[in-house]
Amino acid sequence: MTHASDTTSTIALIGNPNAGKTTLFNALTGANQRVGNYAGVTVAVKSGETFTPHGRKLRVLDLPGCYSLRANSPDEKVALDALSGLLPGEPKPDLVVCVVDASNLERHLQLTLQVIELGLPCVLALNMVDVAEGMGLRLDPTKLAEELGIPVVPMQANAKRGIVELKQALRFPLPVASEATWANPAEDPETARRDFVTQLCELAARRPNAHQQTLSDKIDSILLHPIYGWLSLISVFFSLFWAIFSFAQIPMGWIEAGQSALGSWVESLMAAGDLRSLIIDGMIGGVGGVVTFLPQIALLFFFIGLLESSGYMARAAYLMDGVMAKAGLSGKSFLPLFSSYACAIPGVMATRTINSAKERLVTIFIAPWMSCSARLPVYFLIVPLLLHENEGTWKQALVLFAVYALGTATAFIVARVLRGRLGEDITPGHFLLELPPYRKPQWSYIFRHVFERALSFIRKAGTLILGLSILLWALSTYPKSQSGDPADALAHSAMGRIGAIIEPVVRPLGFDGRMGTAILTSFAAREVFVSSMAVLYRVESAGGSEEVRTVLRDQLAISKWPDGRRIFTPLSLVSLLVFFIYAMQCLPTTAVVARESGSWKWAIGQFLFMTSFAYTASLMIFQVGKLIGY
Amino acid sequence: MSPAHAAELEIDSAMTLNQVKVGCDAQIRLLSGPGCDRLRDLGFCEQLQVRKIAGGRNLICSICGTRMAISRELAEQVLVSPLA
Repeated sequence: MTHASDTTSTIALIGNPNAGKTTLFNALTGANQRVGNYAGVTVAVKSGETFTPHGRKLRVLDLPGCYSLRANSPDEKVALDALSGLLPGEPKPDLVVCVVDASNLERHLQLTLQVIELGLPCVLALNMVDVAEGMGLRLDPTKLAEELGIPVVPMQANAKRGIVELKQALRFPLPVASEATWANPAEDPETARRDFVTQLCELAARRPNAHQQTLSDKIDSILLHPIYGWLSLISVFFSLFWAIFSFAQIPMGWIEAGQSALGSWVESLMAAGDLRSLIIDGMIGGVGGVVTFLPQIALLFFFIGLLESSGYMARAAYLMDGVMAKAGLSGKSFLPLFSSYACAIPGVMATRTINSAKERLVTIFIAPWMSCSARLPVYFLIVPLLLHENEGTWKQALVLFAVYALGTATAFIVARVLRGRLGEDITPGHFLLELPPYRKPQWSYIFRHVFERALSFIRKAGTLILGLSILLWALSTYPKSQSGDPADALAHSAMGRIGAIIEPVVRPLGFDGRMGTAILTSFAAREVFVSSMAVLYRVESAGGSEEVRTVLRDQLAISKWPDGRRIFTPLSLVSLLVFFIYAMQCLPTTAVVARESGSWKWAIGQFLFMTSFAYTASLMIFQVGKLIGY
Repeated sequence: MSPAHAAELEIDSAMTLNQVKVGCDAQIRLLSGPGCDRLRDLGFCEQLQVRKIAGGRNLICSICGTRMAISRELAEQVLVSPLA
């Protein structure tokens, strides 16, 4: 037969959350999408390519998981639009692969029937047959195919079993749309579908005796226990944070050693001059200070991946529901907010699983107040200075904990107020969450995911942060003054002049012009603050970033106002710390918020609110503190 | 007695999922309320068996081999008859 070979057919993967769509997508396309054992890992449509056994190219779309095509939440709406060909830039799919969990046909087949009713050609991927057989379920794919009138392929996508058979089913000519034999005008379509599924399951998926005590049940009896469950939750997250901070020290040491070696190597190669200063102070110092945080970020994403993939994240959301309700949110906000401790961007994107539009907006609004990893360099600079100690003591850990607690507590209070003001949803959305069975983590996907996040962080360091470091260096070097004194040279430079202009604005917070300038540069990305301070306070050191911080700290400790008072009193340091806890200083987050909330107004409002909140909080702390006599 | 009347009587004697004891099995008789479409999508359909695993603020129940956590408000909309 002939067909136009230049038009690539599009195939869409659809199914309930946790049916294994993304695993199948990865197996088909060889892509490394993130896989989670938690509803809503795929929040946008991803596309890839695969080939039929005859070498014909197919485009594969991975749609977000949904329970029905009624578009209850934003991700279900995306799936429905994709199937109807309403998604901009995506054609209507030529074939839909319904991915169902074979151990759960009663629930998953509902969606398949809805797809068939849409009149789309369909193939049923009967995934996780191993789990179903392990439960003692007797499956009959042939019977299922006869009754539904569509090809049925039993498979086990995580072990790559059945992939070839599925590709055989996708070869040309594509199967034609089946008839919705169950639909009958006299009956409610919902009821008709339900009766048909019950009948199908009796025929093709017989359960031996429902409700066996599975291993997951046994684990849950401890992990969801009213007392032990909370103890486990607290110990899981406590050890997670502890592991991040202690394990990361080792690779961080390597990075710093490498950086300082690179600095002295360049120093030995080049003659003193502007170019050497640019490379060592501007580029190596600026970028290096930020790259040191790579191990911590990678570890955090690793642990989040581990929790999601094993199935514990859903239990944490269940347990946290009561706590989140105090802030007017639900357990579904837990994962987005928790992810925001790593980075607000994936956190904001993960809010798509929240059904209530208002709860989702509130969660997006407060997500940047969960202290993200980009704030850590700033905290690490300020906290030891505050306590007059070297890095890494238990007192500092305590202050750091207080910093996280302050951000989180304020976020919850604001959420509560905001939730009250937004009012109730028109259709009340209730807490509803599937607790997937515990599964072995899919290591390869977790590692790939960590690798991707790390790469994107390095890319940011290599572009945005490198650019800003060079710009800062230039601003603080030119125009040059005749005087040989570095302090005069800085005052004469463009940066010195900007600092002088904004000093009146930041003075009431206890900051001088140089800090004001550093804060200004950190509005693009917070972590730039440390390298800006290093450049502005003229830290001449080619060492690693810990050394930079130590030298910078010494430099800050002796900095004085023109009248001889110290600039960095404990009070001004607390004020600075508070400013960083609250300020919204991350351009990429603002962009993502605008996209997710669907309005720039919301994103800009959030930016203005958080920045003015930060300014006011710092102002109050400094002024009240001064009055009391600190 | 008309069949419709009999059905009504049966529903009157049914209890909500909230009233079922933890660890007991029940058969779903009727869903009524604003959340019933959502519940049906998740597998809470008439005639199916459900086991309540945990109560409290949100309850956990096992249906078709899947554990679902649902709020009390939703569980209130599920009418069941307990099975021995």
